[in-house]
Amino acid sequence: DVDETEIQPKKKRNKQRVLLLSSRGITHRMRHLMNDLEALLPHVKKDSKLDSKSQLHLLPELADLNNCNNTLYFEARRHEDLYLWAAKTPNGPSIKMHVQNVHTMDELKMTGNCLKGSRGILSFDKAFEDTEWGRLTKELFTHIFGVPPQARRAKPFIDHILSFSILDNKIWFRNFQIMEKDPLQPNGPPQTSLVEIGPRFVLTPIRIFEGAFHGATVYSNPEFITPTAVRRLERQEKGMKYGARKDAEEESSKRKE
Amino acid sequence: AVPQQKVEIDDKIALERIRESIQLDPSLSWTETLVVSYPETIEVDVDDDLNRELAFYKQALHSANAARALAAKHSFPFTRPNDYFAEMVKSDAHMERIRQRLLDEGAGIKRSE
Repeated sequence: DVDETEIQPKKKRNKQRVLLLSSRGITHRMRHLMNDLEALLPHVKKDSKLDSKSQLHLLPELADLNNCNNTLYFEARRHEDLYLWAAKTPNGPSIKMHVQNVHTMDELKMTGNCLKGSRGILSFDKAFEDTEWGRLTKELFTHIFGVPPQARRAKPFIDHILSFSILDNKIWFRNFQIMEKDPLQPNGPPQTSLVEIGPRFVLTPIRIFEGAFHGATVYSNPEFITPTAVRRLERQEKGMKYGARKDAEEESSKRKE
Repeated sequence: AVPQQKVEIDDKIALERIRESIQLDPSLSWTETLVVSYPETIEVDVDDDLNRELAFYKQALHSANAARALAAKHSFPFTRPNDYFAEMVKSDAHMERIRQRLLDEGAGIKRSE
């Protein structure tokens, strides 16, 4: 009987896989941050470093080869500045962000711990809903940082939460362990508390492109100043101070003569 | 040198169109994504480390509780049972170092008192 084996409405699935890779020239801290993300997100496929910084168009192909529909690409510049590209491959969009204030899980100050590969709750604050770029970023981060239930190494329980907050036009990332019981009162009433696991970092959105690693800019952050420009200004200021001091010295030596 | 004025681009229509093109099916069950929105914006002084971290903590705590309620509604397992053991993100050796450091700090405070 054909009718009895009628096609059941297939349960809809959230299928995501993320390719994680970096450019050449990343420092140990950046590498540790990448390893932390790999440990936290079981649907991530890590790949070897990309050889050339000018050939980003290879990335969508690479993601496709690895059966990934998202890409996180860490780009290191001058061995000190770190940029993060978060992209939906192959059709876009992609967001380029500047990464600052990185603290990795290795630091002894963060005392939390969680199951390797447990699915984390994603928490976004209300500011993501206030702007159009915020809504797009939220959607993209939901795809990339949300662990799909059938990820191969995913564990069936929830014990940590990834929080994203917009403050000062930057995205702040934190990762907390969810504690159900107070360790000081093991028999007391269940009360939720949080302990930070790490890593933490701050992302400044720079540009959003329509395609994956190419295409028209649909958003650009006018407030973003490149770290090189910041350093140049600092040096300029120092130079000006030095120049002023030298001038004063010359003046005084002239007066003495 | 002429100071360059940065051109701001904020193509809201395109952003919305792109978002709609990648959007997950709204009929997906919550358990597929586990996304929780915090109903408040974070308004603290960026340079005030203590209050800033407190605000993030509050956001995460609120979301954790909301998520637990949602999980209960979807009859989705949330809390890890005490007898479920598996590999953790941080190794035992690392956790031991953290514990040792906490102990050392505690001892240091006591000594100085």
